Amino acid sequence: MKKSIRRLLVVGAALLALVTATACGKSGLDNGGGSTTKVTKKAPKNLKVGASLSTLSNPFFVSVKKGINDLADKKGTSVQIADAQNDTAKQNNDVEDLIQKKVDVLIINPVDSSAISSAVKDANDAGIPVITVDRSADSGKVLSLVASNSTKGGQMAAKYMIEKLGENAKVAELQGTPGASATRERGKGFDGYVKGKLDVVTKQTAGFDRAKGLSVTENILQGHGDIKGIFSQNDEMALGAVQAAKAAKKTIFIVGFDGEDDGIKAVKAGDMAATVAQQPEEMGRLALQAAYDHFAGKKVKAYTESPLELVTTESLTK
Amino acid sequence: MKIELQHISKSFGANQVLTGVDFTVESGSVHALVGENGAGKSTLMNILTGLHKADGGTMLVDGQPTTFTGPLDAEQHGISFIHQEMNNFLQMSVVDNMFLNKELRHHGLLDEASMRKQAQQYLAQLGTQLDVDAPIGTLSVGRQQMIEIAKSLMTDAKIIIMDEPTAALTEKEIDQLFTVVRRLQQQGVGFIYISHRLEEIFEIADTVTVMRDGVAVSSAATKDVTMAGLVHDMVGRDMGDFYPERHPTPGKVALSVKNLTEPGVFRDISFAVHEGEILAFSGLMGAGRTEVMRAIFGIDRYTSGTVELFGAPVHFKSPAQAIAHKLGFLTENRKDEGLILADSLHDNIVLPSINGFRHHGLIDTKATDKFVSMLVDRLTVHPADPAAEAGSLSGGNQQKVVLAKWVGSGSQVLILDEPTRGVDVGAKREIYDLMNELTDRHVAIIMISSDLPEVLGMSDRIAVMYEGRLMGIVPTQTATQESVMTLATGNQKEAVTNGN
Amino acid sequence: MATKSAKFNLRQFIAKLGPLVALILLVILVTILSPGFLSPTNLLNLLRQVSINAVIAFGMTFVILTGGIDLSVGSILALSGAVTASMITSGIPSPLALLIGLALGAIFGLINGLLVAYGKAAAFIATLATMTIYRGATYVFTDGNPITGAKMNNSFLFQYVGRGYLFGIPFPIIIMLVAYVILFVLLHKTAFGRKTYALGGNETAAYIAGVKTKLVTVIIFTINGLMAAAAGLIQTSRLSSAQPDAGTGYEMDAIAAVVLGGTSLAGGKGRMFGTLIGALIIGTLNNGMNLLGISSFWQQIVKGIVILIAVLLDRKSSKA
Repeated sequence: MKKSIRRLLVVGAALLALVTATACGKSGLDNGGGSTTKVTKKAPKNLKVGASLSTLSNPFFVSVKKGINDLADKKGTSVQIADAQNDTAKQNNDVEDLIQKKVDVLIINPVDSSAISSAVKDANDAGIPVITVDRSADSGKVLSLVASNSTKGGQMAAKYMIEKLGENAKVAELQGTPGASATRERGKGFDGYVKGKLDVVTKQTAGFDRAKGLSVTENILQGHGDIKGIFSQNDEMALGAVQAAKAAKKTIFIVGFDGEDDGIKAVKAGDMAATVAQQPEEMGRLALQAAYDHFAGKKVKAYTESPLELVTTESLTK
Repeated sequence: MKIELQHISKSFGANQVLTGVDFTVESGSVHALVGENGAGKSTLMNILTGLHKADGGTMLVDGQPTTFTGPLDAEQHGISFIHQEMNNFLQMSVVDNMFLNKELRHHGLLDEASMRKQAQQYLAQLGTQLDVDAPIGTLSVGRQQMIEIAKSLMTDAKIIIMDEPTAALTEKEIDQLFTVVRRLQQQGVGFIYISHRLEEIFEIADTVTVMRDGVAVSSAATKDVTMAGLVHDMVGRDMGDFYPERHPTPGKVALSVKNLTEPGVFRDISFAVHEGEILAFSGLMGAGRTEVMRAIFGIDRYTSGTVELFGAPVHFKSPAQAIAHKLGFLTENRKDEGLILADSLHDNIVLPSINGFRHHGLIDTKATDKFVSMLVDRLTVHPADPAAEAGSLSGGNQQKVVLAKWVGSGSQVLILDEPTRGVDVGAKREIYDLMNELTDRHVAIIMISSDLPEVLGMSDRIAVMYEGRLMGIVPTQTATQESVMTLATGNQKEAVTNGN
Repeated sequence: MATKSAKFNLRQFIAKLGPLVALILLVILVTILSPGFLSPTNLLNLLRQVSINAVIAFGMTFVILTGGIDLSVGSILALSGAVTASMITSGIPSPLALLIGLALGAIFGLINGLLVAYGKAAAFIATLATMTIYRGATYVFTDGNPITGAKMNNSFLFQYVGRGYLFGIPFPIIIMLVAYVILFVLLHKTAFGRKTYALGGNETAAYIAGVKTKLVTVIIFTINGLMAAAAGLIQTSRLSSAQPDAGTGYEMDAIAAVVLGGTSLAGGKGRMFGTLIGALIIGTLNNGMNLLGISSFWQQIVKGIVILIAVLLDRKSSKA
């Protein structure tokens, strides 16, 4: 027991040493105020870029990563990429670690737009510009947001389904992770457009996950055998739904979102009717390009819209 | 078949457990093996079946020197060992248990019909009929015993070793068991019969070998020996000098129990124990002695009856309450219930008294250190290192640690359940001396013991229980092994009930 | 026998100091590879990152010492955080909201304790169930949306919990240290701590020795819930946002910290200091590998291997 007390003292002493080591013994809050520093011009090959992506277990963000890496390789930029594994707190830690590494610019694809704010403020304090991808930050200073217009994408899917299935057709909706901005915005666009035009019999969450998309669709088909179509808020869930429909020997008009490789293949094969294709590689490329522009002294737009495209079986076989 | 063990020796580390033991068993005979705990009976049998290797000596099977590689090998050679603790899977059916690991297959699938038929046949050989699909746990211990024997027959056993087969059987079941043993004996099966119950030996065995401290002290035809002779050989000395003399000066009533009843477990238990007195509880296994004490101590419940402690009525709902009223309980099973084996002696000894060592909410470690070293010295615990893990001590020293817990917590009434079980002779004597010292200091002791000589040697009065009832309380001075045994087996011929 | 304690004993050495030695080696390794690691700002950064897991792990130490487990801590973190955040956004004074948040965590822990002690449910199963229930309740309560709001940003006290500094030290670190000292004293210096060890070592023996085992179990789970809620408040404040899926998987990091610190999952053996070291090891691994730019996929493999090594060493050292 006495030993433990000694250890306690050792730990305490170590921390005291730390305190004295930190020159500014400040008390109070992080102020979070952005400081407007003048941009020191830097060539791409001298730039140190830190990127924090929400998850690398989703092909979409792997493509974003590829877009960043491809351009960086071409220009000789060094990039370090951290994977937040969809955990808001881990993403904050990752960003802090990147700040500690003194990167020149941060490209952040937030897990959640509100939770990332404090990390963005930390970066602001450290004078590191932040570029966000796909989702923005609720507060803190962001140099530029590169994103597709998700609400618009939801509307595109809705329009196509009404066109092909006719008004008042029975459809189901597979939703993403509750609370995620993609879930909210894609849902908002779709739901708003189909109101009174399609009969949405059920909305179920399948967490943007293919396996969950399969099981949730199986359950939906048990309860609502008569649905004509499914809007899935991403391709992964849509691909799960394709499997469920095949197993149930039903032809369902499935529209996905994202336009990832597997999704496009399924559309080509006719398993999926369409997907609202984002261009994730393009997003990654645009984000890094924004960084280059910034350090070249050019003015960067606060919002760069990454194009969306409705990819349908017809458009592919044309 | 004839098995001869010659000059078998075995030691575990520095501990010589067998020294030059001779033992012979033949088909068609029943050879009883008796001796106190730790005399070496189990080790001898484990050497016979190949579980242990002898350090010296030879085993002849039908004249040929043989060693078995293990119990399975022994079984394949016709030697079957029925352990006291039957290793059954209680949720599995009788037939599944009987054919475990020997399943009959038909095209790779289980042939349930044949297994069921064979199981019934083997049981029929023993004159037993039962539902072979019933989970084995739903059957009485006697029935399970029969199934064990049937399992032995399945392996074509020529010699069957039975360890304490009757410990948990009723009279009727014992009769049935003996009938089966005699029948198989006539068919040429030989038995090694290990038992503490000497009366049974005279009833069933042809030959009896007594072991003591790793030596076979005597071996003779049962008809040539007497009960007293066996007991003398087992204990090796006259009983008197083993136990310290008691000079009881009983004071006022410490604990008084009236009509304590828990349906199905015990009923109408009434007794009283006085300050400075040792009241022994005797009886067969399963007579309900431990259960009564657990109920009084607040571990289990009782439905009716009253308990008074120094004249005040009490009804403990948890051990914590009992301890607060200066009751202590040294449990039968010190490893599972008495000690925290991974903790130090210090932490074990302090535990029941821990609340008394708080000083501003923190533990006063100086005081606990002093308290523990005083008790460790007083009880001559070895090693006398308070930081030693309780699990590293010998059985006798572990028991002393448990005693130290309760002595230290200031118990005025101490319940000792089998205080010397598994304890070597030296430590036994020390525990007895300590009990005397405690009663000199007016502590009241209730001692549950299945060791009759201990009961007769260390108590002032003896309460005898049988199947959940108190058969009587007799003064130790006038009690004999026979009079206690008579009560313990349910006969109330000469019982002198003495309520206080 | 007497010489045994005086002799150098590798087994005891590993058991007692192994985690600390491992941490020191790890720090040396990371420092060599990435000199920026030892800078004061990074160390404070690291400690702040560690604080959430450490606070949960301190409570978890008690639970694991009794041979139990609590899988619901991540969900308690989320639910307490969400309720507190919504109280603050709806205008309830933040001191009151914070206290209610902590009290709620304690109540969720109490429920776990009652299920285990009186419902006689296995801790793993009981807390697996409450983990799902508390998580579901968080989704119901938040309707799946994160809770944010200007009021949260404007409440100085609430912001201070996760983002404040005291004499240059981030406040979460202060919370972690205070929690450490309190729980250290509780475990190693009080009768309650002794009873915790006794309960984990042999529940029956402890009961017969007068330990109110059920009460102790309930208190321990309550403490654990309280600590999870404290971690939840730190996290919610730090992110200025209560996420419905916050804390997912945190039970595993907490358990890993406890086990890395040398506490046996079988109960009865372990120390609070070990858990602090265990949490620091995990934090150093995360931070160090980020600084080294190791791919996040490899980071997980390395973390798993470190935990495996710790467990294998522990098994070796606990053999007689």
